[in-house]
Parts: sequence; structure tokens; C-alpha cells
Amino acid sequence: MSEPFEPKIVAFVCTYCTYAGADLAGTSRMKYAPNVRIVRLPCTGRISPMFILKALQKGADGVLVSGCHPGDCHFAQGNYHARRRWTVFRALLAFTGIPEERVKFSWVSAAEGAKFTELINGITDSIRALGPFEQYQELQKVIETQSTY
Amino acid sequence: MGLQEQYRKEAAELLSSGEVKLVIGYGEGTTADRRRPVFVRSAELVSRLVLDASGVANLSAYLVPEGLLSDGKKVAVFLKPDGVRSINILAAEAQLDPGQVVILGFDIEGGQPTPLPGRKASDYAPLIESLKGSGLSPELQAEADRLEQMGAAERFEYWKEQFSKCIKCYACRQVCPMCYCRRCIVDVNQPQWINTSSHTLGNFEWNIIRAFHLAGRCVACGGCDRSCPVNIPLRLINHRMAKEALDTFGHYAGESADQKPVLATFRQDDPETFIL
Repeated sequence: MSEPFEPKIVAFVCTYCTYAGADLAGTSRMKYAPNVRIVRLPCTGRISPMFILKALQKGADGVLVSGCHPGDCHFAQGNYHARRRWTVFRALLAFTGIPEERVKFSWVSAAEGAKFTELINGITDSIRALGPFEQYQELQKVIETQSTY
Repeated sequence: MGLQEQYRKEAAELLSSGEVKLVIGYGEGTTADRRRPVFVRSAELVSRLVLDASGVANLSAYLVPEGLLSDGKKVAVFLKPDGVRSINILAAEAQLDPGQVVILGFDIEGGQPTPLPGRKASDYAPLIESLKGSGLSPELQAEADRLEQMGAAERFEYWKEQFSKCIKCYACRQVCPMCYCRRCIVDVNQPQWINTSSHTLGNFEWNIIRAFHLAGRCVACGGCDRSCPVNIPLRLINHRMAKEALDTFGHYAGESADQKPVLATFRQDDPETFIL
């Protein structure tokens, strides 16, 4: 009997807001799906689109990028810059046929432990419904099985 | 007197008067319809300059190699309006001083080069304004529309097939005036962000990142598309990025030398419909 599919989700979060929000969810003993792997970064402005591609390359089925609400950035402007970058990057992903539903963006403040919990549960459910990101993982498998590369 | 003769004469005057140290133009190529860049440093050699409808390459790329402009002397260069936009972007990104570039402007109309009078990048502001939002050629537009109508899975298959042809020669990067990084992200190996072998996954990553780095900077000179040995329609991706920058942020690349790069600036009320 095969195991039911459990998605792997990588969350790139900023340390000042979303990571603190996740911490609050933990200290408040809220439960959220264990499918998410959190990567803490100084600021959403630090999150290069390369990170998202790398996560997908290494087998993630979904990616979440999350930071402070506009106006709340510790570095004053980092999330504004990041927002522009994501707008363009999303258009690029859509144009190359990488499903937009697999790459999500959100703002979660340090006070929003409950929002973080709901967000992670919601994303996990939607990615579980989508199934594994086979299109991309197929390409990775080719590399691993063909010694000519 | 044809434009070629006129610009040869002007190049000779610029060189002999010492106003410019170098003229970058088109010269005879390996076949009758190809042009290669020529670098003319003395007035006696201006006969090597050729200007006809085959002069399509954006020569602004030859201005960025390190040290060329560091002596403060001027360089003259044959440029079409897209090349002038490149000069504006390079100036805005602090890669060159537009005051050091003397533009021998031309455009190609009806298979003939026609002169453009501006000699400084700032002279072209009205012309660039009038070009704002000009689209792709009808054939490419049809292809772009076809792609937009596909579902995500079908589009993925389309690009998978296109990118599977890529041999990672990086001709698209080498030809691009905007790709001036001394160390390209694809050459970074600690950490190695992009698979360097030319398998489809690595090709996907390379082409996505290349297009992303050109978002709001590409002037649609078409150099990458022409130089691609396996004919990947790179212009389609670049155009999609330019369209996003224009539609969402009202940014048309290369309008002026003090235009802020689109991804290095922001507005507090930028749209964020997709953020949860």
C-alpha cells in the first residue's frame, strides 16, 4: 500500500516578522502542518528568486515567501523592494508555465501567530490537492539517472 | 551622398580633430548580409565602416568593457534608437558617463539606413517617448498571443522543448549590453545556484534567471534572439518582462539617463493583489 502524498513546502521568511510570528504560533501551542521547512533570512529583500528556483530544483512541491507587512520592515524598505521583484518574478513563472499556485507570497507580522497557522495549513492543503510537482522533479530525475551529465 | 559616406566623413573629422579616441561601427562580415563590429582609431581607416540595412546589432555592448572609458575620452558609436536606450540604462546604472558617448544615430526604414540627428543620448528623449510601448513584430506577437492562451502545463511543455535545445553557450549573455557583471551568477560555484550542464532543468533555471535580470532593462534589440545558435525565442520572454514593467509600474526601459531601474525602486502603493 502506498503512503498518501505529503507535500514538501519550503518557507523563506524574514526574521523580524514572519519568523517571530511562527515563534508565537509555537509558544502559543498552536498546531500547524509539519510539511513546512522554514528558512530564516534577515529580510524579504534578501530573498533572491534564485532561492525559489533552488527549492523547486531540490524537490519542494511548494514555496512560501513571507515577510513584514508594508510599512513594518525592520530595514524600512526591504519588503517594498521584494514586492516589486515578486510581481515581476510571478509573471515570469507564469509565462514559463511553472504553476503560480505552487509559489505563494504573504505578509505575516510578529503578532499574527494565528494567521501563520492558518496560512501554513491552507497552503499545505492546496499543495496536497495539486499533488507532487512532477513536471519539475522529472527533469531533476533525468540528471540523477543519466551519468552523461 | 549616402548615409555611409556621410558618417565615414563625420567619423574621420571626429577622429582627426581628436574629439573622440575611437569610433565603433559596423564592418564587412563573413557573408554579404552580416556585419561585424569594427573599432576605428585613425581617420585613415574610416573606409572600413559600413552602414546599411544589415547593421542591426546593438553596439552599445562594446562600451562597457572595463577601462575603455576610464580615461575620460569620448567614443563615437553607431546606434539605433534601441542602442540609445541601452546607453541611458547603462548611465542610470552608473556603468558609463553618457557625456563620453558620441552617437552616430540611424534607423532602418524600408531597407535603407536613415540618419537620426541627435549626437547625445538626451537628444533622443522625444523619439524614445514616441516609441514607448511599441510591440513585437506581427509574427512574434502572434506567437506571444498563442502562448498566453495556453494553460500552464502546455506552456511548460512549450518552454521545456525550447530550453531542451539550449547548449549553454551563453551567447545571449555575451551579446547583451545589459549583461556586464564581471562575475555572472551562472559562473558562481560557491554556492552553485544554476546547474551548469546543459540539461533541461539547468537550462530552465538559466533562462529564467537571465530573463529576470533583464526585467525592465531589456530594450528589445533582439541580440540574444539572433545570436542563439538553436533559435530559442528569447525575445518572447524578454518582451513579456518588459510588458510587465510597463503595465504594472509604468516603466519603459531607457527613457533617460536618470531613470531609476525598475527593481531598484518602489512605490508604497505598488499593486499586491497576489499577496496573502
